[in-house]
Amino acid sequence: MRGVGSRPRPPQTVSFLRCGWLTPAPMASFEYLLVLALCLLVTAPLELVLGVRVYRQARRLALTLLCTGAVFVTWDLVGAGLGHWEYVVGRVLPVRLLGLPLEEYLFFVVVPLCGVLAFEAVRVTLDRRQRP
Amino acid sequence: VTYGYTLFCAGALLLTLGLEAVLRTGLLRDRRFWIAMAIVGFFQVLVDGWLTCRPIVTYAQEQFSGVRLGCPSSALFEAGGMPLEDAVFGFAMITQALLWWIWWGRRLGEQ
Repeated sequence: MRGVGSRPRPPQTVSFLRCGWLTPAPMASFEYLLVLALCLLVTAPLELVLGVRVYRQARRLALTLLCTGAVFVTWDLVGAGLGHWEYVVGRVLPVRLLGLPLEEYLFFVVVPLCGVLAFEAVRVTLDRRQRP
Repeated sequence: VTYGYTLFCAGALLLTLGLEAVLRTGLLRDRRFWIAMAIVGFFQVLVDGWLTCRPIVTYAQEQFSGVRLGCPSSALFEAGGMPLEDAVFGFAMITQALLWWIWWGRRLGEQ
């Protein structure tokens, strides 16, 4: 285990305060976006093969993501604004909205969505086992 | 100010528990929820591990407990890994999403 009690100085970061509403930053990287895309790719078979109905309940899903996202995006804006965490320049897209990389907004869509898919997958699997 | 992120995560958890007290979905008593959260937790270690080991996101040392999960030894990784607080944050956010999922499902008559 590394890093306990030490803070390895990571590559350059951009603080919230030095970013405007929509600020281009130097260097582009799709790394964060790829991580999120991989999350969607890995969970896609739950809908397509296992047959959970998550994407197919679009209204229910949209409302769920909106309710959760409203709270946690605000939470993220405040925390990043206070400098509690930062994003590494060159590992995120070069465009920031209110100081956050665009991927960070997608995070609050992708991660709760994957959580819902996981829950529905467990529900469907156990329910099918009970009444075959 | 110190332990800001720690407080944020504790706040998120309380908010989620408070939301369940209002929405009364019964989710926290559902065995399937805990099984799903164990699976989600495993994948969180992989995904959040990548974000915090590379790192893509960094944490101010004085704003969290300092306890990190650690990272595999690799030239790819330059940071210490997932803070303990991230586990609380992940649990709070996914649980909150599931509370709304069940609540909206009942409300819309879809489940």
